[in-house]
Amino acid sequence: MMRKMKLFVALIAMMLAVPAMAAIDTIAVDVGISVYKLMPIGVVPFEEEGKIKWNGEAPHLILTRDANLSGRFEAVPSNQFDLVLFSKKRARQYVTGQATKLSNGKIKLDCFLYAAETKDLLLGESYTVKPQDVRLAIHSFFDKVVYRLFGERGVATTKLAYVSKIDGVKQVVVSDYDGFGRRQITRDTSINMMPVWMQGNKGLVYVNFRKHRPNLYSITFGGQERAIFTQFAQTFSPAVNPKTGELLFSVTDNGKTDLYRGDIKSGSAKKFLHLNSNQVSPAWSPFASEVLFTSDRGGSPQVYAVGHDGTDVRRITYMGHYNERASWSPEGDRIVYTSMDDGKMNIYTCALDGTDIVQLTSNAGNNEHPSWSPDGKLIAFASDRGGNYQIYIMRKDGSGVTRITNGTENTSPTWSWFFDEKKFK
Amino acid sequence: MNKLLKLALVGAVASFFAWGCANQEQPETDPAPKTAAEQPADSTLNFEPIVTDTLSADSLAKLEAERLEAERAKLEEMINRIMLDDVYFDYDRAELTEAAKRILVQVAEILINENRFVVTIEGHTDARGTEDYNLTLGARRSTIVRDFLVAYGVDGSKLRSVSYGKERPKVQGSDEEAYAKNRRAHFRVTIE
Repeated sequence: MMRKMKLFVALIAMMLAVPAMAAIDTIAVDVGISVYKLMPIGVVPFEEEGKIKWNGEAPHLILTRDANLSGRFEAVPSNQFDLVLFSKKRARQYVTGQATKLSNGKIKLDCFLYAAETKDLLLGESYTVKPQDVRLAIHSFFDKVVYRLFGERGVATTKLAYVSKIDGVKQVVVSDYDGFGRRQITRDTSINMMPVWMQGNKGLVYVNFRKHRPNLYSITFGGQERAIFTQFAQTFSPAVNPKTGELLFSVTDNGKTDLYRGDIKSGSAKKFLHLNSNQVSPAWSPFASEVLFTSDRGGSPQVYAVGHDGTDVRRITYMGHYNERASWSPEGDRIVYTSMDDGKMNIYTCALDGTDIVQLTSNAGNNEHPSWSPDGKLIAFASDRGGNYQIYIMRKDGSGVTRITNGTENTSPTWSWFFDEKKFK
Repeated sequence: MNKLLKLALVGAVASFFAWGCANQEQPETDPAPKTAAEQPADSTLNFEPIVTDTLSADSLAKLEAERLEAERAKLEEMINRIMLDDVYFDYDRAELTEAAKRILVQVAEILINENRFVVTIEGHTDARGTEDYNLTLGARRSTIVRDFLVAYGVDGSKLRSVSYGKERPKVQGSDEEAYAKNRRAHFRVTIE
């Protein structure tokens, strides 16, 4: 409990310390039809007591967006409860609520999930928040709706780390999973890249070039930044073990790149694989029993898997000449990776043995750096389909592509782990 | 070939610089014109002893150090301008082309003759491919250049190789012309 509190305090401190950036408006581009069944859910505007000036979108619009982004639901918006519409669209439940402006400037949000036909109350949650925290409160309610109807954790309260070009410099930033609430994490003016989340979302590990070479750094939300694994000249490609928090990463020495496995706190590390090839882009399986990585042992970059103890290397990808940056679905059944053909990069998934290849993106510029949502329903990625690189989210079958960033270049999204439940008081 | 002409020029500057350093120890016999800082100290010594106070041995040494540092920076900038020729590579390759070897021979000649130069060899790639794999490709490129220079006779302790992957393109753009200019090894010279 104390640790949770500390983390929460640190997060708040981070939010206060770093000036909020201009809100990012976003657009949706729907491509393709989902092969997974989506559950229709009615969304009705909140009743408002007193005129409320929303700081951004009204609650029902946030809920609509959460539903459509979730990879589970399809929103059926309606201006009021409409059983005919809900029945026609097969929405068996609907969400709505009541908003009250309090004398201290805060807003009280009473959020409800009802069964459409019987009007039985399935879930009720109350939040009293500052106007700028309405979005986070609604995300919190939405994840409770997911839990009530699916028995699984939702991702509306998760975050993304990615790289934003700020004043011409690649900086690591963090935002809500939907691109709102972006905050700059790094300040150094060389290059900052390849952010990944530390265990428990305590902070990030990333690569920085302040010493004119790629080196790993860690930063905790609260401010402590430090160089890690400084015994090596060039380090990059970090991957955090979801069970133990230890790090797999690439070390380049004398032109050869190898995978090392080390402890972020103590800085001790040892070679993970003894291969004659170069190895990059490690990724752990959901229970850290196996590791995916890219090797050029066959003359071109291809994806391989190996046991967590470094034994039993097997090749996963055979199609094409450039398959890189694989990562394991949190559900455990699929691998997503980037493949380059004719100079264009696209995102594919395959089964664990490399069969059943499905191309998720096509005919839309370059699409790269896929990252699974912690529930395995969604994939965040970077694409230059709109002219410059931006972050997009799609369902795991490639449908529902939605852009969540704008402005100058945004690349290399990495999804956080699940957050512990946040208390709104 | 241009580089060799420039090398002769730099050689001249460098040796003048080195000679200046060597002569520092015996200023009595220094045939070079005295610096502006030294002259007033000598000529006014008898009349205004207070001037010797302000130009103490410490401050003279400091002025001299500043002059040397300025010379060093100037020479460093000059040598970096001459070394602006990059070594280019084919797509997804880290082997040296014939053109690359010709440039490297010239670079090696410069470095063998001038042991105060410390050279960082930066390996770069074009924009295609992932950040991670391009870092390994850049590392292979910088290392093969380093190995060539060492094999030619350059002191390996004066050479560092680093990879920038696709992070520092020389030319913006997404056509073959831009890509070709970005697949390179770049030299960054510092003078000790």
